[in-house]
Amino acid sequence: MVEQTSELGRGFISLEIKFRRNRQIRAIYQAFRLIFPLILVGTLADFINQAWLQRSGYYYQTLHVAKWAFQLNLWRDYLGLLSAGALGLTVILVAFAVSFYLVIPATPVLADRLMAGILAMLTLSVCNVNRQSLVTHRPIQWVASNSDLSGILIGILVGLIVGNGYRWLIRHQRVTQHPLRQTVGTVSLWLIVLTGLGFAWASTQTVGLNAAVQTLTRWPFQLPHTLGTLLGFGLVTGVGQWLGLLGPIASVGGQSVAAIQNLAAVLDHSGWQIPHPITVHTVVDVYATSGGPGMVLALLLAIFLVQHNQRQRRLGWTCLVPTLGNCNAPLLIGLPVVLSPILLVPFILAPLLCIAMSWGCLVLRWVPAVAYPLANGTPGILQAYLGTGGSSAALLLSVIELVLSTMIYYPFVKWASIAEEAVTHDPTIS
Amino acid sequence: MIQRFRSVLVIGLALILLCVPGFLWRPQQRADVQATYRSQMAPVFLVPGSSATQNRFDALVAGLNQKTPRRHSLLRVEVMTDGSLKYTGSIRANDTQPIIVVGFENHHDGYATIQKQAKWFTIAFRALQRTYHFNHFSAMGHSNGGLVLTIFLEDDLAKTQAHADRLMTIASPFNLEEPDQSVNTPLFKQLIAGKNRLPKALTVYSIAGSKGYDGDGIVPFDSVNRGKLIFQGQVKSFTQMTVTGANANHADLPENQQIITLIRQDLLA
Repeated sequence: MVEQTSELGRGFISLEIKFRRNRQIRAIYQAFRLIFPLILVGTLADFINQAWLQRSGYYYQTLHVAKWAFQLNLWRDYLGLLSAGALGLTVILVAFAVSFYLVIPATPVLADRLMAGILAMLTLSVCNVNRQSLVTHRPIQWVASNSDLSGILIGILVGLIVGNGYRWLIRHQRVTQHPLRQTVGTVSLWLIVLTGLGFAWASTQTVGLNAAVQTLTRWPFQLPHTLGTLLGFGLVTGVGQWLGLLGPIASVGGQSVAAIQNLAAVLDHSGWQIPHPITVHTVVDVYATSGGPGMVLALLLAIFLVQHNQRQRRLGWTCLVPTLGNCNAPLLIGLPVVLSPILLVPFILAPLLCIAMSWGCLVLRWVPAVAYPLANGTPGILQAYLGTGGSSAALLLSVIELVLSTMIYYPFVKWASIAEEAVTHDPTIS
Repeated sequence: MIQRFRSVLVIGLALILLCVPGFLWRPQQRADVQATYRSQMAPVFLVPGSSATQNRFDALVAGLNQKTPRRHSLLRVEVMTDGSLKYTGSIRANDTQPIIVVGFENHHDGYATIQKQAKWFTIAFRALQRTYHFNHFSAMGHSNGGLVLTIFLEDDLAKTQAHADRLMTIASPFNLEEPDQSVNTPLFKQLIAGKNRLPKALTVYSIAGSKGYDGDGIVPFDSVNRGKLIFQGQVKSFTQMTVTGANANHADLPENQQIITLIRQDLLA
């Protein structure tokens, strides 16, 4: 199969295979497989809650759910709890799993493997302590927020640091030592070091580790809205998501002052005169997020166009509903796109193409800018149509961009599929 | 090859199917958006009582501006008896919560005048709405000003398509100055008859002043108390408060420090 691909494709496949054979990456991918069911269920619950049961939801508005739904508030609360329960501790679970899987080849002792995972979880906990409770010498309070999908990168990093450190300690211990004393010694050493790190963080920083990283990712919102900065925003969003920052950077939501002024202009005057036609919201949110950031709906279509990988196809069907509702997390973690060298390219390129095309069409006034608020869960291709109050040109542009994005994704998905099969069928790495 | 495109076709059809509700809903989209849309600007209307002019609240606004993080612009509008408007002051650009005082050339006391003032207020409101494009607001009325605002909310608010967020009435005599508790004045009967038309999402605060056992020196307690018969069960919430101590007599209430704090906390928050 490899022989049928181009030289570029072979290069990418070879890179992907090397990457996937790396011990660290393998542990991360195994962690993703472990938490995938939780992410799928949590995302589905969140999608149903947001799109069907909340006032800002697409189906809530278009199907007049309030008129026929039974016990709406009860369902909202239940699905909110289900979603928070499944996704709320994702970062901690990733840290546990990455550290656990990293230690597996180094020791046959299950307790050691589990302890490596537990120490990674504890590391996250001590870095997410309520600073006030610490510095005022009151009983310690933990910060449970900021541990959802948005901070997977932090979970990966902590898992890698703790897992590798634990491996190193195991390998450098004398085998003759008493197992119990050995475990107690290792754990004590780790706890002292990690708590020291957490204490240093909490004493000097006012926010938790995850909150600090998430704050850093929000800086592009301050940029002016030119083509360069829009592309830059697309690039930063894409790289952030690829690294595992699946949260706030992608959810602008159209709540900016410019979006409100655009809406006011449309509602207060006849015609469609928009004061701010080029913004992150009118370009990136509307045209570059079919299926979620990264044009993931195009990725889904490409998976089905690439015929031969059964696992990818099954995954595609499993992730169909959330992807049609613009929730990209299950596909990004399940495939995975996160940290995949091959899929990074289309994951960045497809949105950038959409941003550039949409910007051009808006500047040339071939399509009007969106002004109406976008309902959560609106099918990707319909966002521009409804946002512009029914512009057929905007709908056509969305469809064209989806087709072009699918074409961009197609070869890379094919190569990723080949690489995955090569890795799976190689007995040395299974 | 056919199998390959079959899956894509199924997804494409699913996508189109999910788009159908959006296509069907689109004709009513503007009305739905309009219904939930709230303008950035939400002015606060102040209406003085009888014998007071549009300058009645200058000291109050100055006091409020000293205690709020952002200064509120002050625009004064005087509605003449022929319906024309006179403006003094201005609204600063980007001020999302300006204070607009609406006074009346004819500011005499009496049931007939209050009726006319409510209509004049509507004229001023619509003119300001055309100029500043707001679609929601809050309001405070002192004494008869509270009655003017209540009549406006019952009779004319629906025509303006604006949304009333909060109303504060200060020593407003919903049964006028009638000392006999068994007597219902025509004004009270009118307000009771129209209470069903009060906005359901409105939050109302009614403040009474207390100088002695019976009231604030001018308005009887019972008359202010009757606000609950008008608002309770009709609006989102109704809270009644009594202010005592210094400056608790009828005319001094707008300068009362407790009331200034209540306005800042409950009306401007």
